[in-house]
Amino acid sequence: IAGCHQTHTVLDRNTLIRWGPLRPRGATIKLKAWRECETKSSRDGPSLSPPSARQSVRRNLDFEPLSTTALILEDRPSNLPAKPAEEAQKHRQQYEEMVAQAKKRELKEAQKRRKQLEDRCKLEERIGSAAQTWNQEILPNWSTTCTTRWVRDLWWQGVPPSVRGKVWSLAVGNELNITHELYDICLARAREKWKTMPSAAPAEPETDDAGSSLADREASLELIKLDISRTFPHLCIFQQGGPYYDVLHSILGAYTCYRPDVGYVQGMSFIAAVLILNMDTADAFIAFANLLNKPCQMAFFRVDHSLMLTYFAAFEVFFEENLPKLFAHFKENKLTPDIYLIDWIFTLYSKSLPLDLACRVWDVFCRDGDEFLFRVALGILRMYEDVLTRMDFIHNAQFLTRLPDLIPSDQLFSHIHAVHMTSRNRKWAQVSWWAR
Amino acid sequence: MAYAYLFKYIIIGDTGVGKSCLLLQFTDKRFQPVHDLTIGVEFGARMITIDGKQIKLQIWDTAGQESFRSITRSYYRGAAGALLVYDITRRDTFNHLTTWLEDARQHSNSNMVIMLIGNKSDLESRREVKKEEGEAFAREHGLIFMETSAKTASNVEEAFINTAKEIYEKIQEGVFDINNEANGIKIGPQHAATNSTLSGSQGGQQAGGGCC
Repeated sequence: IAGCHQTHTVLDRNTLIRWGPLRPRGATIKLKAWRECETKSSRDGPSLSPPSARQSVRRNLDFEPLSTTALILEDRPSNLPAKPAEEAQKHRQQYEEMVAQAKKRELKEAQKRRKQLEDRCKLEERIGSAAQTWNQEILPNWSTTCTTRWVRDLWWQGVPPSVRGKVWSLAVGNELNITHELYDICLARAREKWKTMPSAAPAEPETDDAGSSLADREASLELIKLDISRTFPHLCIFQQGGPYYDVLHSILGAYTCYRPDVGYVQGMSFIAAVLILNMDTADAFIAFANLLNKPCQMAFFRVDHSLMLTYFAAFEVFFEENLPKLFAHFKENKLTPDIYLIDWIFTLYSKSLPLDLACRVWDVFCRDGDEFLFRVALGILRMYEDVLTRMDFIHNAQFLTRLPDLIPSDQLFSHIHAVHMTSRNRKWAQVSWWAR
Repeated sequence: MAYAYLFKYIIIGDTGVGKSCLLLQFTDKRFQPVHDLTIGVEFGARMITIDGKQIKLQIWDTAGQESFRSITRSYYRGAAGALLVYDITRRDTFNHLTTWLEDARQHSNSNMVIMLIGNKSDLESRREVKKEEGEAFAREHGLIFMETSAKTASNVEEAFINTAKEIYEKIQEGVFDINNEANGIKIGPQHAATNSTLSGSQGGQQAGGGCC
């Protein structure tokens, strides 16, 4: 029997060492089994060390450490000389310190977990009650409530996801009077074009003057396909075969038929995708077309370079006003706002910010209009001002065109809140009015 | 980090030809099958060594859609090298090279080194543009040419480095005025100690007084 135990011990010791850090629970069990084993074998076989030392070790083990560090306490195998008492004492002490630290860490982590859970419950409760307020008090009386102070304040906190689509639709409005029928007509026209279009890229070379508007439009329909797979690829829902591939394709195709003068421009797929995630297809199309019809969006999606420069110039006025030090640093490093603003404005932050945070930006963008897009930009610059002031051109450009994956939304919103959008008594609308 | 020179590159070409993937392969040595769409411009940087000198490449990766041309045009300014990329599996991306080239020549400095790249060479079965056609186009327009695969990394390193070699040779020949930053070349802090091979025309230009 003793021999059998011995074999187990060896086995367990191996598995313990391999599993220790990865499978803490299993390791604890193994450790116990191993200990029993050891006790038994030492009882049966020759004693390996004075029992008193072993006892004190055991006392410490009523708290099970999560790693294999406990192994250092085991006595040396019988075929090796025993540890000197001094060394054994030192090891005991180290071990006790380790256990104490591990205990502290465990406690701290448990506290953190409890706090996180509490925060989450609180947040869910807040969202739940906010959703009720939006559904029962605000949405039924939209025209009278939407401009009141208390609604605007609640709005700033973020619209609950369950009512987001409705709020966005109402706030964006439908100045263009697009009906569901009109969407169907545009979609049918787009489908017809897709049918007549060669499925693959033409194999024979086109002549240069074939760059007519027809070829361009077909190219833009072809381009939509190419870009859909590159829209939020990590979500895996818009790619071919994914649940929203057809919907996204339909909205973008219908839009090129609705506004052939604008056509499809890169960046649009992100806007349509965010809308699809929050409302029905036809409503998403209506919101999409109306959103793109706003002066700032029109300027960008028509790629009207001089108008865009006007917006950038207006942005720089407020940049200098709010963050003079960073502004000077960027000027010195020739970091112009187009480098980071183009991506942010074209996709309304949906590509550069985490999606939930981007939706919060959209909430207030629907409330405040284009001014808010530039205010968010200043909020981001303000939040990272210290880091940005220390970096050179290339690092700043890389940082701003690829923002950190984790951006705490409350922190960003408090920075956005601190940005003031007046310059020498002029508001954003006055500074940027000549862009309109 | 200390460098002897900094070269600005710009990557241009039709949308979807793999510009961002080439950059990612060069800077991070990895391939992302579905890369994010580039809107506006994105950036990469890497240090290389040529002739024993550290050279920092600052790479501007631009959006390819026709509509963005008016924006990307302003990024040619101050570029020392350009990678003009087409997709060997899409004939139309090859057909558009002339307009890209016209754009590049018109908006950049005349000494800008242009490397023509036929990307996606791993997709041999779907090839629509023969290698000889790429070579012929390059010869005709005085460009360097390479076929690459951002996926397998074939020739990616070479494409970026050969462009830098060409720029470096032009500097040695005195073609580039390295004091004029509009040429896309900056002298780095490391240069002060190692500039013996160059004519002494860049006095006082060393940033930080040659201190690393």
